[in-house]
Amino acid sequence: MAKRKTKRQLLVDTAILAPIDWLDERTAVVGGTKYFLFRHVPRDVSWAQTLGFATLMAFMAQTLTGAILAMYYEPSAAINPETGKPVAYSSIEMITNELTLGWLVRGMHRWGASVFIILLFLHMGRVFLFGAYKYPRELTWITGVLLLATGMLMGFTGYLLPWDQTAYWATVVGINLNGTAPFAGPWLAQFLASGPEIGTSTLARFYALHMLLLPGAIFALIGIHIYLVTRLGVTSPPWSREAAGRERAEVQPAGGRAGLVRRGTDGGAK
Amino acid sequence: MGRDLGERNREAYARYKDDVRKEGKPFFPRAILHDTIMAFVVVAVMIALAVIWYWDAGDTPEGEGLEAGVLGPLYTLPADAGTTDFIPRPAWYFCFLFYLLRIFEWPETVFIATVGIPTIALVLLLGLPFYDRRLERRPSRRPVAMIAAVLTVLSMGVLTYKGATAQEALGSELLKLVPDWAEEQGFTGDEQANEGARLFAVSGCLNCHIYLGSGTGSLGAPDLSDVGDRYEPQALVRYLTNPAEFGNTVMGSYAYLGQENLEKLATFLDASTGDK
Repeated sequence: MAKRKTKRQLLVDTAILAPIDWLDERTAVVGGTKYFLFRHVPRDVSWAQTLGFATLMAFMAQTLTGAILAMYYEPSAAINPETGKPVAYSSIEMITNELTLGWLVRGMHRWGASVFIILLFLHMGRVFLFGAYKYPRELTWITGVLLLATGMLMGFTGYLLPWDQTAYWATVVGINLNGTAPFAGPWLAQFLASGPEIGTSTLARFYALHMLLLPGAIFALIGIHIYLVTRLGVTSPPWSREAAGRERAEVQPAGGRAGLVRRGTDGGAK
Repeated sequence: MGRDLGERNREAYARYKDDVRKEGKPFFPRAILHDTIMAFVVVAVMIALAVIWYWDAGDTPEGEGLEAGVLGPLYTLPADAGTTDFIPRPAWYFCFLFYLLRIFEWPETVFIATVGIPTIALVLLLGLPFYDRRLERRPSRRPVAMIAAVLTVLSMGVLTYKGATAQEALGSELLKLVPDWAEEQGFTGDEQANEGARLFAVSGCLNCHIYLGSGTGSLGAPDLSDVGDRYEPQALVRYLTNPAEFGNTVMGSYAYLGQENLEKLATFLDASTGDK
């Protein structure tokens, strides 16, 4: 006969283990988490390989601060009768000057964009230096380059939103630059400006791109990127003596002679 | 050598998997500790930048937060399509593109800078694992890749720096040049042309165009010193109202200046026939 369970064990079973089992039976989430957390990485993995995670962290911070800003920001170029300034501009002023810690949220989002872009480039530089884009990690590299491009588009679309002079004129130039492309250029410029001049409809369009379409694309790309990194593994520094996958001398003496013969010779036969 | 590259690739990767399994360390908690520390550093840097930016910006008579601190102002004045002397500045990570435009200043070549080079760069980046297929990963054995990388970083750095620090003349400084222009082009007595010249100086035309040696010549905008030889006054008014009619999709419309001002500008431009 099985030993009777104590009250405490019963409680743990019903409150914690049973729901986890229920979830795991349907989603395999426990196995997935173990696979992710307890996988091995090369033992010489160190600070250089934290840049990817740091970039992810910057993006998460952008998501969070961006969501808070979206609760107060109004994408309209109409004049606010109370302030006599454009509605979008006034809402940014309100966030900066009146909202509790609003300046911090806006400041983190504004500067977080630069931090994100710098980290993207540093991460890419590290991958290039380590030759980590080579077989079998080609797709990881491609999703990474696409993330860099979408990240820069996030910067371009977000720059207009404060609707101040800097924002407005940089966007005028930016849209005109798109217009110089052969074939698609004029159409692209028309699409971005969404009208004969840059105004409320442009602002709405940039806002939708900045907080729906582009972040959606970035989330999807990050998902694929991280899945591939987990599946294919992180690379060792190629110059490391203990790099995973390093080439070995063809003949390795075994048993009692191990360590007595220098590597690279053919077992001391000469 | 001799063996097929795919085969050697797969062998090397199998060896990698084997090494990681036998000699590797678990991601949790060993590697994730470094990652977590790094994450805190990232957020701390973001907070620090926000704090410096906010506390170092000052107020001006026109409003709060308009005076720039070390990290710039909290905002500039509200967007105004009618402003004449605001110099466009992109975010710093687009400054390289901004400066490329100054290099490719001839109209037919503008698209090389705006679309050509960025597109080629993107394609080269995306295709990297497909044209650099050697097994070798050590930087010391990849001289071509390393030299290409150093050159790319250097040129991006120089272009970004030049773009960020590029100086453009303000309308107020250009106004002082109007009497010289009038003398050189011979319209000193023509009040209509003089008013047009003053409008020209303060309307931001020289942010792109060149006139008698002033201005920057960016975005492929032509030198206007002798534009009067090329267009009739009425055509100039139509051009300023709707540049697209003349196949120019880069320049914006200046219709907001009003018909009267456009005619003054056209008189001035018509009188501009180059130094003779």
